[in-house]
Amino acid sequence: MSADTPLPIDVRTEMRSAAAWLADGGSAPSGRAVTSDLTIDEALLLHSIGWEPVELVFGVSVTSVPVGVWTWGRGEISTASDAHNLAVHTAAERLGRECAKAGGHGVVGVQVSVEVTPHHVDVHLVGTAVRPVDGKKPGQTFVSDLSARDFVLLSNAGWSPLGLSFGASFIYAPRRDAATAIRQSSQNIELTNLTEALYSARESAMERMQASGLAMAAQGVVGVRITEGPMRFARHVIGFTAWGTAVRLVADNHVYLKPDMVLPLDDAVVQFEAQSLRGR
Amino acid sequence: MTGPGDLPEAAARRLESGSFSSGLTVPDFGACLQMGLRPVGLVQGFCAMQWSWYGAGSPYMRGMSPYGTSDGGQGGYSQSWRCPHGLVSAEHRAWGQNYEQTWVESAWLQGYGSAYGRLIEEAKEVGAHGIIGVTDTSHNLADMNVTEFHMLGTAVVVEDAPAPPGGDPWSTYLAGQRLAKLIEAGFMPISVIAGIASVRVWAYCMTEYLMEGRVGTYGWGGATSTQEIEQVSEGHLAARALAREHVRRQLGSDTLHGVSITTAEREVGSGDQVLECTLRGTRVRRFKGFDPMPTPRPTVRLS
Repeated sequence: MSADTPLPIDVRTEMRSAAAWLADGGSAPSGRAVTSDLTIDEALLLHSIGWEPVELVFGVSVTSVPVGVWTWGRGEISTASDAHNLAVHTAAERLGRECAKAGGHGVVGVQVSVEVTPHHVDVHLVGTAVRPVDGKKPGQTFVSDLSARDFVLLSNAGWSPLGLSFGASFIYAPRRDAATAIRQSSQNIELTNLTEALYSARESAMERMQASGLAMAAQGVVGVRITEGPMRFARHVIGFTAWGTAVRLVADNHVYLKPDMVLPLDDAVVQFEAQSLRGR
Repeated sequence: MTGPGDLPEAAARRLESGSFSSGLTVPDFGACLQMGLRPVGLVQGFCAMQWSWYGAGSPYMRGMSPYGTSDGGQGGYSQSWRCPHGLVSAEHRAWGQNYEQTWVESAWLQGYGSAYGRLIEEAKEVGAHGIIGVTDTSHNLADMNVTEFHMLGTAVVVEDAPAPPGGDPWSTYLAGQRLAKLIEAGFMPISVIAGIASVRVWAYCMTEYLMEGRVGTYGWGGATSTQEIEQVSEGHLAARALAREHVRRQLGSDTLHGVSITTAEREVGSGDQVLECTLRGTRVRRFKGFDPMPTPRPTVRLS
């Protein structure tokens, strides 16, 4: 074992000394309490790059959707997209403000919940505000939906999260005229109006997401998640949303993480299959 | 059951039987032994609470004044909104209010606290030092307006270690490797902690219109485009912030680790809602100096 290799911790001894310490009174630390929804693995990972959790933070926004928006029509439903964007931006802004108020320099592990109902769009964001242990402010306060592990990997690679990037698009499923519908009823044929509308709506959602990243001076968006499908209350409307974390290279160059290759020696679980006895 | 020493006879017989039971999975059981923790029994606590919304001291109505509070004088959160339209009709909601339902929170805490107290009592009965792998649930019993709180955990003794102060065992939602890592990281669990906040939203005219999509109807909703429904957003934020504040009060200067958050909303009328937020986690305290972990080595599995 080399000199700089840390000695393995004897957890039995640690447990015994912790219990003895508690039995002896176990004095509480000074300072403000910390709340965090990170797992112990995530907290340890954060510590490994000199960051620590500070506070559980929230951002919520509920925005209205006027009546009549979801009735039959053509093209994109811009009012619904606007409501979505307003709710997301307001909620993210509040999350950032809560983080700054708690003394955090960024939010990681944000759970994003977006619910679109006939009359309002609800956005709920919950995450943990984090900061460097040495108290140095690394740059502007950021909001990200990266897990603590992703944040550590990204930081080690020389990149920094900037904020949440969101885009949404809601469209009416386009209808064919009666003659076309009758003519095509017995054909296996591409419905070009539908393909084009869906294509365009998907692109619009992603374009908006990228535009919101560019507005933060980001170089890219990572961890993009896409949801799509008909609205539960209006099956003729299809909604697309895309979101991810806007990132920017803060190191001089991208730092290549050179992973070691490992070959686990534990056997994969092989279940007995009776069919194999028959040579199948 | 009203106080200490009143566990059911069956519980006393079970705990004195000499063998142990545990709610741990086999890997968690293995990790527990590895840490020098000896399981001594599966312990539990219950409490069935009646939910009397209109009971004594329950001001289940708006306050008499938009400038006052509606929390029964218990000093909870309250925020008011005024109608921008002026006098319209008797049915028009001229003002609205968000307020904290402190009596609901007290009842929930009483249920949770009683179940927790009984869990601790059972653990003390078997001479445990701690309770690991705690689970807690609360659910409605039949259709009786009754909520049952149930806590379950595995009582353990730390081999060759002194008993905790006052004989009161520590407790944690963690077990197995996660508990081992917590100890390795220098944190000792103190107790499980939970807090609830309940906020009632009494909508004023604008909230009612906006929640029903009546934006621009006869001009009542104001703008015809989309806008934030401020009263509801504020209600949601308040419920979360209050729940966080309630657990903070129990924390002192310790750390609340691995918080789980659950929220519930119930519509009770046009724009009227009850919003609830519950936070749970393990209160931990550092027992040794900060010892940063070496930077993890990235690896790629070849299988």
